Amino acid sequence: MLKRIWFIFLRDIRINLRELMTVYMLVIPLILAVGINFLSPGINDTSVNLVLVKDENPEQAAYFDDFAHVQLMDNQQEVEYRIAERDDVLGVLAGDNGYYILAQGNEPESVVEYARLLNVLYESEVKLEDARSEIIEFGRTAPPLKKMLVNILLLLITMLAGMLISMNILEEKVDQTVAAINVTPTTRKAFILGKGFTGMFVAIISSIAVILITGFYSINIGQAVLVILSVTIISLVIGFLQGLNSDDFMEAAGSVKLLFLPMAGSIAGYEFVKGNWQIFFYWSPFYWAYRANDMILSKSGSWPQLILYVGIILVICGGIYALLARRIVRGLQ
Amino acid sequence: MKMWSSFKKELILAARGFYFYVELGFAVVIMLVILFAIPENFSSTNTEYFYFNLPEQGREISKNSLLENDTDGKIEEVEIETGGKVYPAGLIVSDEQEIYIFESEEAVRELADSERNLGVVVELDENNELFYRYYLQGYESTRLKNLLSVLLNESTVVLEERINNQEVRTLTTGFEPITERKNTIPPLVAFSGSLMGMFVMAAYIFLDKKEGVIEAYAVTPSSVWRYLLSKVFVLLLTTVVSGLIIVIPVMGFSINYGLLLLLLLTTGFFASTLGLLIASFYDNMTKAFGVIYLLFFILMVPGIAYFIPGWDPFWVKIIPTYPILQGFKEIILPKGDIVYPLLTSAGFLAGGLVIFALTNIRFKRTLSV
Repeated sequence: MLKRIWFIFLRDIRINLRELMTVYMLVIPLILAVGINFLSPGINDTSVNLVLVKDENPEQAAYFDDFAHVQLMDNQQEVEYRIAERDDVLGVLAGDNGYYILAQGNEPESVVEYARLLNVLYESEVKLEDARSEIIEFGRTAPPLKKMLVNILLLLITMLAGMLISMNILEEKVDQTVAAINVTPTTRKAFILGKGFTGMFVAIISSIAVILITGFYSINIGQAVLVILSVTIISLVIGFLQGLNSDDFMEAAGSVKLLFLPMAGSIAGYEFVKGNWQIFFYWSPFYWAYRANDMILSKSGSWPQLILYVGIILVICGGIYALLARRIVRGLQ
Repeated sequence: MKMWSSFKKELILAARGFYFYVELGFAVVIMLVILFAIPENFSSTNTEYFYFNLPEQGREISKNSLLENDTDGKIEEVEIETGGKVYPAGLIVSDEQEIYIFESEEAVRELADSERNLGVVVELDENNELFYRYYLQGYESTRLKNLLSVLLNESTVVLEERINNQEVRTLTTGFEPITERKNTIPPLVAFSGSLMGMFVMAAYIFLDKKEGVIEAYAVTPSSVWRYLLSKVFVLLLTTVVSGLIIVIPVMGFSINYGLLLLLLLTTGFFASTLGLLIASFYDNMTKAFGVIYLLFFILMVPGIAYFIPGWDPFWVKIIPTYPILQGFKEIILPKGDIVYPLLTSAGFLAGGLVIFALTNIRFKRTLSV
């Protein structure tokens, strides 16, 4: 039996490599991981954007540069044009009674407040070298937004893996080979496992690669692998659900959109819903996967906590699988 | 006439399929989420930990100055647990902050570390001046660290007074901001409506390629462009209906629906012709998948910029979704700009037409691939 599962797995890998699908599935998350690395420093360094008149007060421009993003324009007219553009940029211009802040009028209040504070600090001659403070850091390098993006990417890999499984099954359906399997010594169980392995394999490899590319080397890889393994069960369920219930790619595409909803909802629920209201998301395996990943990426989790989360994911996925087992078997006939 | 019957036929086919209803159902769900799950305005409070290592009098003055912003004017006694230890603290809650005042530096350090919040220890230096020790996570930007280092150099009372006197002029007046709830409409409409068109269009074409519909068209009096356009129209109808399902219940009749329809139609047209173009290069969904997926992610980046004020690098602005999001935003703003959505629509219509012409040439030349 194991040998047959292995054969089905190898055959799927071979076919997928020929179709470039597996390569895409493996490569896309990696490109996105590089993208996250590229995006996150810029986002993390977000401050207020100020625009000043060039050469009018170089000392002031240099001062602001320590606290904000500064752009210099040739004259006041150009400063006004720049402010009128769609992004939130504020001008600091010389008036009769000192410098004033020039805004477009639609900026968030916090942005204008920040600019006011900076100009007041400058005019109060508060200097960096006079700082009566020290900063002690805990040595964390990954900002929360990066952690969130990596976590989302890890869940997306699950979806991709699910899609891979479903497309493999669809292909069998379209080629009408599923019925042919029934007359071979390969059992349905072996067929299911064999089909599932490709997606799981892709999910594990891509997830580990994403974690390493994005610089989370120091997390507990053992914990990460455990979560990835349990999450791949979600991929398996998704894959079979989609693959067996759809007759063509159009329907599979529709199901993907439907599945994005609980995933996006779970992420938003975890990130934005406070306290006890999170109970409304407890049914979703994506919620637990996201929560477990968050714990691992923040290096704040304990093993018992993690095992609890993984257990919940397995119970939910097992439940869904058990509910649909009959449909899956029927779909294979 | 041929166009109309072709469109009708496509519409009937779409109505028989599963996807058409998924799209509409999805719009209803999004509308319900906006109405019932997203708050009018997000209240984001940040938590900070303080320890005043000062003589009794200094400690009282510092506490009282923080207490001025407290919602009920009282310090609440609480106990916080971390790393197996329990630390007593006084809690001061304002609209924007939760400040915990601890009795030891150890408590501040432990909590700042485990809860990932800012910790501040205030003490006196050798000149008997206030000295601040900040506990930060390490990923904060240099600019933020700079600001923290000097922020408390000057007395907060003096700073506040000067900030209040700081003159601010504006180029335009009468801007009315929208609630956070309404602010979520542009990305949801853009991504779920306009942009999904690209994905769905490609899927439609691959289905027809498989069934040989495009070759079959070659032997009929109807032309390939009519067939392609009728597909695009069906998709546009779905985009418009799902867009309106999301927008009408939230915005009522307070916005310019003519503009909204125009932008939905032109951006939807652009996205679906893009889907057509991609589909013309590949013979099945699996092969096109990588390109579509990557493109979709690139198109999503302006969505991040949309929610982060101050982060709009130039390269984000040239991604087509940026003007789409800004266009939808102008439409739902109470006194939004009319010219911007019009120009955006014109741009996307022109872009869509060019891509459509290109696609038509490709399909005519190759018939199927």
